This record gives sequence, structure tokens and C-alpha cells, in this order.
Amino acid sequence: MAARLLLRGALRAATTCRAAPVPALTRGMAAGGIPTDEEQATGMERIIMKAMQEGSDPYSMMKPKEYAGSKADPHLVPSITNKRIVGCVCEEDNTAVVWFWLHQGEPQRCPSCGSHYQLVAHELPH
Amino acid sequence: MAHQAHAYHMVDPSPWPLTGAVAALLVTSGTAIWFHFNSTILMTLGTMLLLLTMYQWWRDIIREGTFQGHHTPPVQKGLRYGMILFITSEVFFFLGFFWAFYHSSLAPTPDLGGCWPPAGITTLDPFEVPLLNTAVLLASGVTVTWAHHSIMEGDRKPAIQSLALTILLGFYFTFLQGLEYFEAPFTIADGVYGSTFFVATGFHGLHVIIGSTFLAVCLLRQIQYHFTSEHHFGFEAAAWYWHFVDVVWLFLYISIYWWGS
Repeated sequence: MAARLLLRGALRAATTCRAAPVPALTRGMAAGGIPTDEEQATGMERIIMKAMQEGSDPYSMMKPKEYAGSKADPHLVPSITNKRIVGCVCEEDNTAVVWFWLHQGEPQRCPSCGSHYQLVAHELPH
Repeated sequence: MAHQAHAYHMVDPSPWPLTGAVAALLVTSGTAIWFHFNSTILMTLGTMLLLLTMYQWWRDIIREGTFQGHHTPPVQKGLRYGMILFITSEVFFFLGFFWAFYHSSLAPTPDLGGCWPPAGITTLDPFEVPLLNTAVLLASGVTVTWAHHSIMEGDRKPAIQSLALTILLGFYFTFLQGLEYFEAPFTIADGVYGSTFFVATGFHGLHVIIGSTFLAVCLLRQIQYHFTSEHHFGFEAAAWYWHFVDVVWLFLYISIYWWGS
């Protein structure tokens, strides 16, 4: 008796699920009662959330992109002003970092290993 | 608002670290004054200042994270590291008391009768209230996990109910332990058995009260819509702490209540 009821209930549950699939994105306050970050995140958290959704990384949270460092493929260095300090680890495991100012304009070369660096403007989403 | 080029949170100047340090000084020196000069004023003042500090400091953190959005992914990661390191330090705290227990119980001295439990000590039956307490805490571990999944799935009502149930189970444990303490046939003054039993279980009970309070704050925050289905680290930290308290109890039960009886 109980088994028959259980089977009937399971069949009904299975058919209802197939009949009305719940769209995942509208599960917000109206549905379950707990807000999502999309609805409620604010401030810096929201700015970063939006940027990550678009695929951008304005606050340099990710590892910088790798470049060859040649004249044709220089290291692109984002900067919010017209110059930025660069620290070049010329070869892997080098302990002496070569520091220099990278200025806006023509690409510069590391005074030690000669890798090319180019300053690029970087906008912060204020 | 955001004139920084990084995702971290440079906190505004705050008086609470200073008031907390002053409170710690007053509580400790006040306790010593109480022991030697029969005056509780300094200790009481220190305790009040400590409670005020905790309330205002954590309130500020909630303001900064939930209301102002400063808890970005890297900031949250740091908070996670912080909570894990804190719980680890608490593990070492309890490890000390377990060391003391095993030191005394593995090689019982002649003045105890060369046996454990020591001669004259009537231990508590591990299969009575202590076993119930074990079941209560294990069940509360289930309910807190239920609450977490409810939050992640966006279900407000079950989240509130399961979190409330977790807290009630915590209170039930504390109530039962209180009864056990009252009815126990031995006291803290009963040799090394009494010392190890009451210091270890006593600090555990204090941590249950702390954990219950943390969960209660989370319940209030959940009711007031602070948590989102993706971002609810305050709750996760409380749940981690609660699981830690549960695990410590399991070790206490096995070592002191069961093996030690």
C-alpha cells in the first residue's frame, strides 16, 4: 500500500519536473527569499563582481599576462598614471631584481636583460 | 569611494583595538586583585569594556562588509585564512589539556592508588547523559549543514529554521552539561581527576557557549537579509567553529568519559 503511494508520488514528482522547468536565474528574493550577490552586492565587491563577469581585471587580482618581451611582443604594463616602477626578474630564480621606472611613450628595455616593456593606460572603474 | 588600484581593504582608523587591549589588561589584573584583595570592580569594568569592544568591533566589520561592500574576493580569502588559523590555535589550546589528562591517566601515581580512575572516584556513566550530549552535538552538526545548504540554495525559511534548531541543540547541550556538573559525585578539587575533568570539559562548555552566541548572531543577520546565496562567510566561519567544538567533544567523550572511566 505504502509502496504504491510512494511510486505514484514519485511519478507525479517526475512528471511535474519535466513539465515546468524552473529557470535558474530568477531564483532571487521573489523565489526562495535569500538575495543573490547580483541583487545585493554593493561597493567594491559589486564593482569587482561586474568586472569579473565581463572578463576584465581592473584591480589586478589575477596573475599578469605573459609576454615574450621581444620588440614585437613587449611586456604590456598597465598604469593609472604616466609612469610605473617595473621589477624585472631577468632569469628564473634570480634573486637580484632589476628595478626601473617605465615611462609613457616608447617601449623601454630592461638595463640588464634587454626585455621590452611598454606602458599602457589603465582605467579604474570608480 | 574607490580611489584604490587594488582589491584589498585598507581599514579606517578604529578605537576598538585599543579598548580591547585595555579591557584585556583590566580583566587580567582585575582577576588578580579579586583573588588577593577581595574587590571585583576592576574585573567587572574590564569585562564590560571587553563586551562593548566585541560588540562594536564586529558591528563595524558587518558594516564594512555587508553594507559597504569592502569584502571583495581577496579580502574574504584573508578572512578565511584568519578563521582557520584561529581555530588551529584553539586546537593547540585543547591539545594541552588532553596532554595533561593523558600524562596523569596513562601512568597513575601511587597517591591515586596506581590506577585510573583514581581510587575513590566514582566516574560518570559514559552511556547516560554524556552519550545523549554526543548525540545532541552530532545532530547539531547535521542541522548547521542543513542551514548552510539552505542558504546556498536561496531557501530563507529552512535556513532560519535549521539555524534556530542548531542553536537550540547547543543550548540543550549546555543545559545538560550544567545538570551533570551539579549532580557529579566529584569536584574540581578531587585530585588530578577532578582538575583534568573540569578544566577540559569546562573550557569545552565555554566554547559551546561562544559557538552558540556566534550562531545566534548569524541567525539575526540571516533574518535581516545580510547573507546572499553566494556570500555568507560570517555563517561559514560560525559553522566551522561549531564543527570544531563538536570534534573536541568527541575527543573528550572518547578519552575522558569513556576510556577514562
